[in-house]
Amino acid sequence: MAMVEVEAVRKVYRRDTQEIPVLAGIDLAVPEGEFVALRGPSGSGKTTLLNLIAGIDRPTSGTVRVAGTDLGQLSENALARWRSRHIGFIFQFYNLIPVLTAAENVELPLLLERLSRRERRERALLALKVVGLADRSQHYPRQLSGGQEQRVAIARAFVSDPKVLVADEPTGDLDAKSAGEILDLMETLNREFKKTIVMVTHDPRAADRAHVQRHLEKGVLTAS
Amino acid sequence: MRFLPLILAHLRRNWIRSLLTVLAMAVCIFLICTLRTFVAAVDQNLRTANASRLVTRHAVSLVFNVPVSYQERIASVPGVRRVAKVVWFGGARRVGDFSDFFPNLAVEADPYLDIYPEFLLTPDQRRAFLADQRGCVIGPDTAQRFGWKVGDTFSLESFIPPYRTGRPFDFVVSAIYATDEARYPGTDRTLMLFHYNYLWEATGRRIGVGNYALEIDDPGKAGVISRTIDEMFDNSDAQTKTETEAAFRASFVALAGNLALLLNSIGLAVSFTILLVTANTMAMAVRDRRTEIGVLKTLGFSSARVMGLILGEAALLGAAGGAIGLALSQVMIRALPRLPFIGNAVRGFRDLGLSPAVGSLGFGTALLIAFLAGIVPAVLAYRARITDLLRQT
Repeated sequence: MAMVEVEAVRKVYRRDTQEIPVLAGIDLAVPEGEFVALRGPSGSGKTTLLNLIAGIDRPTSGTVRVAGTDLGQLSENALARWRSRHIGFIFQFYNLIPVLTAAENVELPLLLERLSRRERRERALLALKVVGLADRSQHYPRQLSGGQEQRVAIARAFVSDPKVLVADEPTGDLDAKSAGEILDLMETLNREFKKTIVMVTHDPRAADRAHVQRHLEKGVLTAS
Repeated sequence: MRFLPLILAHLRRNWIRSLLTVLAMAVCIFLICTLRTFVAAVDQNLRTANASRLVTRHAVSLVFNVPVSYQERIASVPGVRRVAKVVWFGGARRVGDFSDFFPNLAVEADPYLDIYPEFLLTPDQRRAFLADQRGCVIGPDTAQRFGWKVGDTFSLESFIPPYRTGRPFDFVVSAIYATDEARYPGTDRTLMLFHYNYLWEATGRRIGVGNYALEIDDPGKAGVISRTIDEMFDNSDAQTKTETEAAFRASFVALAGNLALLLNSIGLAVSFTILLVTANTMAMAVRDRRTEIGVLKTLGFSSARVMGLILGEAALLGAAGGAIGLALSQVMIRALPRLPFIGNAVRGFRDLGLSPAVGSLGFGTALLIAFLAGIVPAVLAYRARITDLLRQT
């Protein structure tokens, strides 16, 4: 069974009386342990599809099933709980909380689990060690470079051991060297930690790191 | 508790804004608690008034005296059992220095002590007091405050012109009255009583009477008796106003400048202003971090939890402001009796202190203001869609 199954998904945004179709009957299956890149021009619906897979938005019609769960069947609360257990989200602009240290940022998803403070701290430090930033655990985001911030964000995404990582332009705000390090890290997470990764990117070098590339054009998946 | 560090971190983000909001809240709670304590003390003072006691005073104001000759005519009114002359002496050990002021009355001792049985004296103490023209009776709190005991002497000088004779009045402590909280709750423990005749003679028999204290047979006839007395003096130069002891005390307190009304108005206005200030702070704090709220929701924080974090933040602001306000109020209430003018009005109040009820009211008000200030941004955060929140980036 595929880790991510998207069937006949349509997404239409309403602006006043206007309806703007973004996804027009998408079908996508991502096997467990796969590393998929979604490419396409701006406005093609890549991020919308990613949001649907991550359970932070709902389709107008169709089915999104991730890790065996039909997301359409979940209430808002249940969907939030499900996200915390199954999805790690990596943003283009890192979106770290500026008033928290790197370790505290990584700890955030663990606040939703029944763990002692010590357990949370140990797991956060372990995640920071995996991304090579154990020595920066007490640094605030403003004290880190862009690449380091993104690595902290990646640590935050996998610290609660989710099955799926979704990344929205993870290298979009980084220089080539930092982008290369981030992609190395994502490959490691896919290869060694068996994470299924769905990544939206414009960057052909980033897309080349994925096992599979899918192309979106005007809300339709057009090529593999 | 898991989320407390997160809430504190957000409050530290713009610590000046948080601090100013807490201080504004503290001022509000300080005013509310001080006001409520004062009003509660006044209420307690009025509640202990005896229903069978009336007071006859000058119709225009307490500052004008009524003639001595009225006493017999008042005593002749059916239903009046006893009448005693009373003068608010306004004496202090050093004129103009209100720091050690205590209430002192020149009274017609024999009937006064019958009308006011709550000032408990043994027969020997009473005899000793009545036998000495310069004798006085003092309350236990005043005795303790100045270290006075029976037989001690001291001098007082009034700041009220008609009672100033060019030299102080000398007194001897004849007795220290006792009180019985069970039988006569709220009895003033700070009063000093001395002989009206001493004042009358020393001032050349020209001073009149500040007010007459009356004991009546039937509290149910207080209205009729009051009207009868006042009608007797309708056509005289000094018209009278006769009222119940409770009403009299209330009007006496009003001499302090209707402080309760003033504080009430200020307290309400400040509370409302603080509500707006805190609401603005919370709205700005939430607007500043819409993206972060989106991130929290993406990470799996439910909408209810995000709402709880924002309300928790508001509650912390309210709790901190409330606690500081209570502390300030406690300090002010302790200092109140030592303040000029206001101190005179409240010094006689028993148990003037921040009660648990008033403290709870103040703290509850702080939390309520915080809740009202936080609820709108919290609900907006609750309802906001993650994709809309993240689009702010």
